[in-house]
Amino acid sequence: MTRELTYAQAIHEALALALDADPRVFLMGEDIGLYGGAFQVTGDLIERYGAERVIDTPISELGGAGLAVGAALTGTKPVYEFQFSDFSMLAMEQIVNQAAKLRYMLGGAVSVPVVFRMPTGSGLGGAAQHSQSIEAWYAHVPGLKVLEPATPYDAKGLLLAAIEDPDPVIVFEHKLLYKTKGPVPEGHYTVPIGKAAVRRGGRDLTIVATGVMVPRALEAAEALGGQGIEAEVIDPRSLRPLDVPAIVESVKKTSRLLCVYEGVKAYGVGAEIAAAIVESDAFDYLDAPIVRLGGADAPVPYSPVLDRASAPQVEDILAAALKLARG
Amino acid sequence: MPVEVILPRVDMDMERGKLTQWFAAEGESVAKGQPLFEIETDKAAMEVDAPAGGVLRRVSAKPGDTLPVGAIIGWIYAEGEIAGEAAKLAPRPLAVPLLAGDGRGLRATPKARRLAREAGVDLTALTGSGPLGRVQARDVSAGELPPPSRGRAGEGGVTPTPNLPRQGGGSPSPNLNREWLVRGPRAPLVLIHGFGADLNVWRRWLNHIPPGRGALALDLPGHGRSPLAEPDIDAFAAAIAETLRQEGVDFAHIVAHSLGAAAAAALAAREPDLVGSLTLIAPAGLGPDINGAFVAGFLAARSPASLRPWLAELAEDPAVLGDALAETTMRQRRDLGVGEAQAKVAAALLPDGTQVYSARAALAAYPGPVKAIFGREDRILPARHARALPGSAAVHILPGVGHMPHLEARSLVARLARDNSAAGDERRAT
Repeated sequence: MTRELTYAQAIHEALALALDADPRVFLMGEDIGLYGGAFQVTGDLIERYGAERVIDTPISELGGAGLAVGAALTGTKPVYEFQFSDFSMLAMEQIVNQAAKLRYMLGGAVSVPVVFRMPTGSGLGGAAQHSQSIEAWYAHVPGLKVLEPATPYDAKGLLLAAIEDPDPVIVFEHKLLYKTKGPVPEGHYTVPIGKAAVRRGGRDLTIVATGVMVPRALEAAEALGGQGIEAEVIDPRSLRPLDVPAIVESVKKTSRLLCVYEGVKAYGVGAEIAAAIVESDAFDYLDAPIVRLGGADAPVPYSPVLDRASAPQVEDILAAALKLARG
Repeated sequence: MPVEVILPRVDMDMERGKLTQWFAAEGESVAKGQPLFEIETDKAAMEVDAPAGGVLRRVSAKPGDTLPVGAIIGWIYAEGEIAGEAAKLAPRPLAVPLLAGDGRGLRATPKARRLAREAGVDLTALTGSGPLGRVQARDVSAGELPPPSRGRAGEGGVTPTPNLPRQGGGSPSPNLNREWLVRGPRAPLVLIHGFGADLNVWRRWLNHIPPGRGALALDLPGHGRSPLAEPDIDAFAAAIAETLRQEGVDFAHIVAHSLGAAAAAALAAREPDLVGSLTLIAPAGLGPDINGAFVAGFLAARSPASLRPWLAELAEDPAVLGDALAETTMRQRRDLGVGEAQAKVAAALLPDGTQVYSARAALAAYPGPVKAIFGREDRILPARHARALPGSAAVHILPGVGHMPHLEARSLVARLARDNSAAGDERRAT
């Protein structure tokens, strides 16, 4: 049976299913217990599963993430929630230097099955230190898997896949998506890590969009359709590993590529995708320069007007796609 | 190594310049920094110095030529350096003669270069229509083909049909335009639109395609980019069957709307093993009456303004059709010539406000699961036609919905289609 759930409810359901299915799974994070999580995602889980499996941690991201990595090394499966992805910078040592590398450095003798959940992105007036999109930072690290679900269906299926994965996985959850609704099947299912989803078929250009940019790109694509331009919208869902063949196949069909992502444009997700296409056999199918639409090259401002202006919006995607399709 | 002589940018906004005079002749020695040639822009004439000392060779522009900024107009070789040997050392010319020969600098996209390479077309002979005169794929195609009536030729998943004459008497089952909206390992949904529409109507369904299923959308004959051979339901069914064969589909679930549903029923009766299930949305062919005024008004409209009131008849809330449908429909009539073909279809299948084709026998003969979905408020085909369905068919009548349940009640109809196709999966021969 499939119902409409919000993205936040879908994550909550995935966590409950994982807690039910596997006694090794437990949750950690600041305010995830009694308070229900900074974005109320864990909600009532502490009442259902008790304070031993839904653990409120002290205000120390480095300490909390370190405990999670250590627990994972002992064979448990912790899911650690950061209040904001921005705060994970305090825990970089544990994520990048420990979790990502121990399997390699110990010759495969251990694995680190930890999941880090990271609420991310701008649009809620959180200003410079609570609004960043730093997916590309983690996608740069060998040994990590980096996911960015855009729909409630994927939020649940990818989180379950992440928990079942033997290696460290980071899940970026865009804060603006938490209240969006979509069909979510009951019960257990997983979405494969590393497989892109084609959200809309089209022949005139390919838009690769991540996270909250997926619904925005789809809205722009609808408007483009009214002008006789059919955009194909690809949601990679997973940044590392990245489903390059799916994007190559699409670009070979459309000959035009627009990458849309919220992180700062320079050195971002779009740069990696553009380079992968130029290096692939899709190069000989390009009929226009690849276009990147990313976040502004500035700290995210507090002003709501500037906050909105700092990330690509539907009208920006529409304008860039029109220029690209008609150029 | 020879040094190239380039037409320089001497103004901020300069894109082209005119060569007015060479101060040295082919084969003559020049010193670095000596005036080598003169150019003229909109604003001024200017002397340009030799970029290196040596012998001027391979001069490729003559006084009076107007050239883009950055164009190579000659080379300076070291004294004693042989042009032939140096050419081997120089950057390898592209397979397409871009720099060799006349030596003009040329902007072309990778796709244009590939198409030119494959077709043996000289890119330098083409005029680029892109930014700054960039040669694009469309310029290469235009160079070899008669002027196309539409934009770029599609590739890969889109298979535009050639501009066959849209008259009767052609091959009995012409190629139908089709597009895989999504591919997947499970038996696909084949999506067939209704009269006057095209495969684009299904794009909004993409979020509702069950995980793992492919979705192949078709343009019916005389619609979208498919030519019309014969305005006949059985010919439509034959063309669909042929299209599925070409796509390597041997088992599929059909989701079809209105006139497309009548064709789907004919297909199911003709190839029951190919069709796993039938989900029919506001199907035609179940009774004699159809809103003849709609058909006539739809076909007669000559502008978006006169078409829009007829389109509004399709749905209880016409907003679900999208603001641009009238413009898109008129553009297709203009660019693809579908208006005439659809008039033929209507004259043959829907004359005088009557459906002359019946799908009842076909549906009675088909052994797989059939689900039919009607909008209770349908103003084109009345929902009471549901009574003509065989007893084995499931009937869903949706209140507050018109002739477009797949757009007006998208989630529900998609769910019904998903359930029906899941039931039909069992029919697959093992």
